[in-house]
Parts: sequence; C-alpha cells; structure tokens
Amino acid sequence: MAREAKNKQTIKLIALSTTNKAYEFKKPLEKIIKYQGKPVDIRLHEDPNGFSYIVWKNKKYMLDVIEKNQNRYTIMINSVWHSFTVETPISLKRRRFLEEQGDSSSSVVIEAPMPGKIIDILVEEGSEIKEGEPIIILEAMKMQNEITSHVTGVVKSVEVKKNDLVMKDDVLIEIQKT
Amino acid sequence: MKIKSLLIANRGEIAIRIIRTARKMGIRSYVIKTIKEPNAWYLEEADEIIDFSESFDDNLPEFLDIDRIISSAKEHKVEAIHPGYGFLAENPDFARRCEEERIIFIGPSHDAIYRMGHKTIAKELARKHNVPLLGGSPGSVANAEEARKIAHKIGYPIILKAAAGGGGRGMRVVEKEKDIERMFTLATNEAEKAFNNPDVFLERFVREPRHIEFQILGDQHGNLVHLGERECSIQRKHQKLLEESPSPALDKKLRKKMGDAAIDIAKSVDYYSAGTVEFLLDEDNSFSFMEMNTRIQVEHPVTEMVTGIDLIEQMILIAEGKKLAFTQEDIKLNGWAIEWRINAEDVQSGFSPSLGTIEKISWPENEHIRVDTGVRDGSVITPYYDSMIAKLIVHAETREKALQQSSMAIRKFWIKGTKTTLAFCRAVLQNSNFRKGKFNTSFISKELKLTYHAEPDEAMLAAFFATYDYARGVQQFEEKPLQLEKSKVIAPWVLKKRLR
Repeated sequence: MAREAKNKQTIKLIALSTTNKAYEFKKPLEKIIKYQGKPVDIRLHEDPNGFSYIVWKNKKYMLDVIEKNQNRYTIMINSVWHSFTVETPISLKRRRFLEEQGDSSSSVVIEAPMPGKIIDILVEEGSEIKEGEPIIILEAMKMQNEITSHVTGVVKSVEVKKNDLVMKDDVLIEIQKT
Repeated sequence: MKIKSLLIANRGEIAIRIIRTARKMGIRSYVIKTIKEPNAWYLEEADEIIDFSESFDDNLPEFLDIDRIISSAKEHKVEAIHPGYGFLAENPDFARRCEEERIIFIGPSHDAIYRMGHKTIAKELARKHNVPLLGGSPGSVANAEEARKIAHKIGYPIILKAAAGGGGRGMRVVEKEKDIERMFTLATNEAEKAFNNPDVFLERFVREPRHIEFQILGDQHGNLVHLGERECSIQRKHQKLLEESPSPALDKKLRKKMGDAAIDIAKSVDYYSAGTVEFLLDEDNSFSFMEMNTRIQVEHPVTEMVTGIDLIEQMILIAEGKKLAFTQEDIKLNGWAIEWRINAEDVQSGFSPSLGTIEKISWPENEHIRVDTGVRDGSVITPYYDSMIAKLIVHAETREKALQQSSMAIRKFWIKGTKTTLAFCRAVLQNSNFRKGKFNTSFISKELKLTYHAEPDEAMLAAFFATYDYARGVQQFEEKPLQLEKSKVIAPWVLKKRLR
C-alpha cells in the first residue's frame, strides 16, 4: 500500500460499500479527480461554524465522519450514512480472492440491534429454531424488543445471560444453519 | 390569582418552551438540575435552579421524586408547578399532593387525570356519553386464558394495551391465537415495568386506521373548546414521528362531529386545562375513541401555529382560574403546520438509539420555520432520557407549501455528531402518497420501502470522501519532507472559509 501511495501520479483507491459496490477514485487528493475513469469536479468546504460540506453540481451536501478505523469509514451525507472499506487495487484483489476461498459459512451470529438489557432468553444450546422466531427479549429505551432469528437452524451457542447489558452489535447467539 | 413563580418538573425542550412563555407573562421560572445533565441548556434559560445533583437516589429518577419536588417547591416558595409531558404529568397522586400542599398544579384535576389515565374507566365514560368505541374486554384481562377467550369472540387481530398506559409501551398486536400467551406475557411485563401496573385490556385491532387527535382547552368554569385536530398517523411501533394540523382526512363536517365527541369526553370528567382526545379513524370515516391524554403533548406546536394560541399560556391562565377569552366560533384554523421530530436514532438500523454529543447544530430561519429544541452545540444525548433532539415545525398557507418549506428546511437542518431521523424525514417527503395526503398508521411498514432516502450521487460523494481522507492519512504517514510542496498539492482542498 505504502509504495503505491508514494507515487501520487498513479494513486488509485477504491471505496467498497457494504453492498459490495466499488467506487474507484484516481488521485483523490489532487485538483482533477477521476471517478470511474472520468474527471469530476467535487469540492470540499468548511463553513465558519465548523460544518463541512461537499459542493457537487452546484449543490451542497452536508458531510460528517461517523466512524473511521484504519481503512473502515462511515460517512454521513445529508443525514444518511454510508459505510466503506478503502482498498487499493491490490488489497481489493486479495480481498475478493479470500472471499471466494472463505467457507460459505453455514453458521450465523445474531447481534444486538441496539444497546440494552437482556430480559429473557427464549432458546438454549441445541434448540431448533425457525426463521422469524423470537430468540431474545431485549429492553432498550424502556421498550421490550423481540429479537428474532433471520435463519432456520440449531442454536450453537448462547453468548449472553439474563440481565446482561449489551452494546449494539454484541453477539447474542450463534446459529448453525440447517 | 396571578401566578408569580413556577417550577418546571421537566427538562429539555419542553422546559425551555415553558420558560419562554413564563418569561413573557412575567413569571419567575425554576428548574431542577440533575447529575445526569448538569450542563443542559434548560438550566441556563431558567431564572432559578434547584440543585438535585448533589444527592440522588439511583432507583428514583429526579423528575419522578414527588416528595422532593414538592418540598423543594415549598422551600423556595414557588407558587405553581408545570409538569411538562412524561414523568409526573399524568400522575394523579402528584396533582393531588400539589393540591394538598397548596401549590397550583398547572394541569387538570387529579380526578380527571386518574379517570382518563385508567383506560378501562375512560372507555366506560365514553360509552356512557355515546362516543363510539372499539369492541373488546370490558375491563382488564386477568390472564392469558381469558384474553384468548375474548379474542376468540371478537376475532383476530386484537391489541393488548396497558390499562395505565400510553406512549406505545405495554402494547402488543396479536395476529394469531397461538401467539396470545407470549404476547400477553410481554405486554404485562412491559406494563409493570413502565407504569408499575401490569393490568392490560384487549381491543379489536383496526389494521389500517388513521390516528387523529383533538386538542381540547377548558377553564375551571365549565367552558370547553377544541382547537382542531392533529394528524398523527405516521408512527413506528406506536411512536409518532411527525404530526400535522389540520389532517388531510378531515372536512368541516367530520371535524365538527369528532370535535363534539372530544368535548363530550372532556366534559365527562369536568375537564379543565389543555388535553388531547385520541381517535382512530377508519377508511369509511367512522371513528372510535382511544384515550385522552391529560397533559400538554409533544406535538402541541402544530396546533399553536394554525390557531395562533399559546397553549402553555392558556394552561397557566386556566390554572389561575381565568375564564377562556374565546369561544368555539372564535377558533379559526389558519394554514397548515407540520412537525418533524428529529431524534438521535439510526433509522438505517432499526431506529436504534444513537447516543453521543451534538457537536454542531444549525437550521435555516424564516417566517415559516419554528424549532423547539433543548440542545445546542456540545449538548450530550444521554441514555437516561428520550432521544429527541429537536422539533422542526413548518407553517405555511397550504399543505403543499408546507411540504416545500419542509424539504428545504430538512436539507438545511445540519447536525454534526450523531445519526438522526432527518434521514427518515427525507424518505417520507419523497413518498408520493404522503405528498397526496393518502396514508394511515401502516404507512411505515407498508408504504415506505426504505426508512431513509439518499439521492443517487450521495453514496458516490461519501465514497469519495472516504478515499480522500484515507489518501490524506497515508500522505501524512509518509513524512514527506517538503511541507510546502504538500500544501501545494492539496491547495484546492484548503478549506474555503465562507462568511455568513
């Protein structure tokens, strides 16, 4: 990566979205940026109040960085967020290769959709569950929410206990798909 | 008597809203400081602060501590208490204690709060006054088995509701008989937790009704008027996300019919102060009474915009014992108002709370726009209270113009630091049936394909910024010795300062 970036003339970066859409930019730091091979005029501004925005085709787009962790980004434009990993052509190739090689995993994890407290666990290890069936009751913002399984299978492990406090995206349960 | 001082037993935007009117009326305002929000904006706006942050009880939230609130009010010789919404606003014991301690409670009588708060009593009152009702259990349901029997009789789907409830908590829709036991347990648990009362009752569930509510004002001399309706059908899990006044579904005739029914309900408990009567409106324009909220509502500003009446001021005048200065004939609905609730929620992942700090907030200002908020730059969204950041209220001559102004205002409503429901507002505004006024409570689940809306180029622009920021990081990491050359390279990106 470092070697590639050194040569500013050829730098090419790809933002890969969570839906696997690739946005390719050449020389993103320079005056003339190329997007998917064509030059585009994207301008970045900051107003005196500390807001950043992009001007694109005479329109303003409010910009906020929600998350930035190595090459992972969550960028908000006009209050809608978009997540990407930034890849170089080589890292993208490697990533695609690994994805093809990787096991087409038959087990899935159910994550907490929001922070909250585990009120009840409706399954145990070895339970058979169907898609759409409730597995956990999670209390968040004073509401009790049923967390349902989006797959059919057998519960491989339960990672939480009753009354546990969980953060968003914490793993609750692992399910072996059948 | 004229009230000279009042304690606001609340926080956030509604505390500030009440302070504004109190100031206008020459009333000294007192607020409560808590350890959970020691730097909140409402504290600065008030005339006096009563400090609860030194000592506190983990199990009894400050705004629910009746004894402490009452004794503080007496200690500071405060004449009246406004409860705002939520917390103690609909607690009959609190209203009664105020009365006993000779503090003016700015709200209805404790008896009206009690009877309307108990949903089964309220339904009985409605029945007596010939206000239409949905079929269901006559009172609370003792257990899942009884619920099963009643549900079997009236037919599915049914809805279980907390008898002491409101605000969507302790409510469960049951589609099929096999789910009733599980749902009964969920509803009673939630009711117990939220309202300290596990009782639930059962009603026929109207699948796609509109939610229409009427604003009521009554004085202590028996005069009652309604200030028109609010359309509150855009809801998710019974939580309102936007409200308008008037409703696209009502004409003059239906407004009068429903308004009269709302006044009948209020009359049945000799209601005074501001209150709201909620109805379900079916496609065939038949309506049924749901409940009465005996407090000021979050969405009261839309009514204020179309009627020109300051509801908080009216509540205070009524509490002072004044007569209403207007009759039903004097109330005119002028133009169209829409309130967009801007909450710190991630609408792209199930409306989950998005806590954090509001680094920056700004919105456009013109004669159509009103913003009620309790936050400003640097405010923290805590897990202790609701997720509301602001209410954007837009008022124009027609619905179409109000929608136009809304699009502009939402685009220019900038909040940095947290995810917000503005993304959802954009999706609603894009929807053609919403624009036509054709929608009901199933709008979000059935009509909205996505709970957010992005223009086609926005993902590309976000992707661009990710690559730009990454490239910049790499460049800095590489320790280029020529600082000058580097700044030359990024020259187009030297952030352009814009003067306001």
